[in-house]
Amino acid sequence: MDNTRSTAREWVHGLTALILGLFLLGISSGLGVIKNIVDFWGSILFIPEYPAVVLREVYLGWKGRSQDRERLNEEVARLRSENAKLRLDLARLSGEKVYENASGDREVRTARVTLRAPMSWWSEIRIDRGTQDGMSIGQPIFSNGYLVGRVSTVAMMSSWAELITSSGFMIPAVIEETRELGVVVGDGTGLVLLKYIPAGRSVRPGMMVSTAMISEQLPPGLPIGKITGAFLQESDGYTTYRLEPGADMSGFYTVSF
Amino acid sequence: MLLIILWLIQDLLTVFTGGGMQIPGVFMLGLVYRLLVDDGTESEDSLWAIWSAFAAGILWDLRWVGIPGFFTLGYVIVVMIVIQVWGAIPPSSRGASGTSLIVFALMEVSQMLPPLLPVLILGGSAGWNFFLMQQIYSLPAILFCMYIYLHHVRNNKV
Repeated sequence: MDNTRSTAREWVHGLTALILGLFLLGISSGLGVIKNIVDFWGSILFIPEYPAVVLREVYLGWKGRSQDRERLNEEVARLRSENAKLRLDLARLSGEKVYENASGDREVRTARVTLRAPMSWWSEIRIDRGTQDGMSIGQPIFSNGYLVGRVSTVAMMSSWAELITSSGFMIPAVIEETRELGVVVGDGTGLVLLKYIPAGRSVRPGMMVSTAMISEQLPPGLPIGKITGAFLQESDGYTTYRLEPGADMSGFYTVSF
Repeated sequence: MLLIILWLIQDLLTVFTGGGMQIPGVFMLGLVYRLLVDDGTESEDSLWAIWSAFAAGILWDLRWVGIPGFFTLGYVIVVMIVIQVWGAIPPSSRGASGTSLIVFALMEVSQMLPPLLPVLILGGSAGWNFFLMQQIYSLPAILFCMYIYLHHVRNNKV
């Protein structure tokens, strides 16, 4: 008799837990408050996880990968800074309006990707750097020296960044070889497109695309990727091109900023 | 307390590997092991296991998935399966050698089901590859757990 009652209780509790789980799964994907809870829980776990983070860094350093990455980052930073200065000089010489924050003389630091939710895989990531590390909204983040997104919200010890593959991502960009201006947009499924290029221009696969001088959100000259081919010919005389991001958008675990 | 430590070990291992490698579900192995060796407590129900799995699943989802529900469901389903299957075996037969296979199957289910749910719901070949890799990495942990279980059974017989 006791056994039967016990089994019944287990069923009741088990089914209640399952229904609660289903309910959470159903409602939470659309709730912004979940992101706050995730951040809060992440900041609590930051303390017990700290030894593992340190161990990981020691291990990577031991393998030499860390030093290689740092050396590459320094090289990328140096080249980016040089590139930005050249662009500013070019803009000044051509009498264009110069974006004052375009100077790239600053230290490049790395951040670890601490969350990339399956539901928003191509839209956003969370990184382990926040206001205390100097992160600010709108700041570009890079992988392998190429733009992968920009910071959208910042907490003290973590930030969320919108990826260039996100459907909400839109930035003015320029084709390096032809100086044609367009808009880089994501489609939310991993594709990155360059829109509004007038049809009939000599745009070829392999041409490099970077952020444009006219953007007030991001400095000019940040490399994004290269054109792989025409994607769509609009009826209004514009062509949409498909871009291959320079960064491996599905396989990065750290970003630089 | 042991379950909290196991959850933290699983979390720390995942942090250490940087998410690049799937880590065996040591928390679920510990929970299933406790359910299996808790013999002679038939009068008591296993509600602690259900709600421990529920809480651990939510915390795992909040830390590594971003959407609570996936591992929460997986963990609770595993606990329900273990309770029902193990409960169907008479206590006197639980130490028999024939049940080793059932114990192995239950431990395998504890490693297979929780990560399978997100893959089934969200799909994607990358998810399947990750899932298969986790099953391979889980096998040594399952065999180690089996060894401890068999050791426990042998000691209790003596």
